[in-house]
Amino acid sequence: MRPFSPRQVVEHTLLDGTVPADRGIWQCMNCGMCTEVCQNGVRFHEYIRTLRPELALKLQPQRNHGAVPCQIMSLNARAGIVPNRQRWILPGQRTDDDSETLLFVGCTPYLDILFRYLRLDLLGIPRSALTLLNQMDISPRVIRDERCCGHDAYWEGDDELFEKLVHLNVEAFDRVGTSTVVTFCPECASSIRDLYPRVVGPLGFEVRTLLEVLTDGIEEGKIELRRDGETLTYHDPCRLGRHLGVYEPPRKIVSSLGSLTEMPRSRQLGPCCGVSGWMECGAETRPWQMERLAEAAETGASRMVTACPKCLIHLSCAMSENLPLLPRAKLPLVDIHVLAESRLAR
Amino acid sequence: MTTDWRPNIVAFCCNWCAYAGADLAGVNRKQYAPEVRILRVMCSGRISAGMMMRAFTAGADGVMVLGCHPGDCHYKVGNIQAQERVKQVREIIELAGIEPDRLLLQWVSASEGDLFAHTINEFTELIKSLGPLGGGRDAP
Repeated sequence: MRPFSPRQVVEHTLLDGTVPADRGIWQCMNCGMCTEVCQNGVRFHEYIRTLRPELALKLQPQRNHGAVPCQIMSLNARAGIVPNRQRWILPGQRTDDDSETLLFVGCTPYLDILFRYLRLDLLGIPRSALTLLNQMDISPRVIRDERCCGHDAYWEGDDELFEKLVHLNVEAFDRVGTSTVVTFCPECASSIRDLYPRVVGPLGFEVRTLLEVLTDGIEEGKIELRRDGETLTYHDPCRLGRHLGVYEPPRKIVSSLGSLTEMPRSRQLGPCCGVSGWMECGAETRPWQMERLAEAAETGASRMVTACPKCLIHLSCAMSENLPLLPRAKLPLVDIHVLAESRLAR
Repeated sequence: MTTDWRPNIVAFCCNWCAYAGADLAGVNRKQYAPEVRILRVMCSGRISAGMMMRAFTAGADGVMVLGCHPGDCHYKVGNIQAQERVKQVREIIELAGIEPDRLLLQWVSASEGDLFAHTINEFTELIKSLGPLGGGRDAP
């Protein structure tokens, strides 16, 4: 891998007063690992973000997937174009248009279309999430005109686009009267909970990840999951772990489904899945991902569980390629919500 | 919506068939709607999903992808790839709140100048009846 020195970037910007045209600044995944280990408390992933608007004038990021995710975000930011987002809901599933609990779906339905070739059944994630909520006697509201959460715009340093999306979403939440926003996507949760208040001030609602709601449900006995002897390993999504600090709920859920074996790098030091913001995926990403997959396979687990649709896509994509490390890194990936739903004791 | 609104339409034309068809329409002095901006590409298979979407975000009210008839592609299967992509993008834009009819795929061969002019005119009429994208609010 190409050496990238955070210290050098900081030195360059401080001494020269300019942002170096370094692709490494775009390659940063803002996963927050360096912030976690920094002894001086430098929030380096935030620092990288502040460099990006200026860097964009000199060097554009390499966008993957034909920049489609980025175009979806821009289209979503136009107030006149009202999305139509409820078609994934299956006939037997319950939603309630008077509920104060709102299920924020995020971009998974779009990604399901875009990544159909990976055969991941991404729509299974929102569907499982809704079934799990229904099982706990929660019929959430799913709003039709939900917009992109703006996560990628924020981390790219595009404040204008991010603010537009925040205002549109918060207006929609307030219009329908929301007390709790539940999300299954860690990126949406971390943006709404931690980043939206920077634009609109304190939020009038609570933001919870579905995993937290589910763990409460299990503890209160509202929902029961079948356990079997399967050995599972859990990959911490960076937005869920380091950004939101949710480490225990997914572990409790995985432990209630099978036996959990931890990978050597987990929790605060669990590496990111390799790509963020749908950009700069390339030759330097693959070894990183293969290393992670090999690490998961070496635990002896039969499946790798993750809690983020993006981790699922990126790691599956890495696995779908015929790479030298593959024989020792091949193990099925599964989303935690889909797995939990398949083990519902009905 | 003001009455003098005129749509922005982007037509991606492949070099070997559709663009030659456009040429023929011109040589034959066929009249077609002036709202269309033609972009010549070497093959309809060159047009990525991102390019079609980018046309919309950059202010197009309608996007056309015009290529060779199946089996006639200069690069054998480029047009079939375009067909798959158009299908995908139509699904994505529908989810995002754009009428899928705003993205059109049509096969036009080099000898079909009439068909080219006809397709352009019909599509322009369709876009005029649909109105500006997103009601023309905060258009770029």
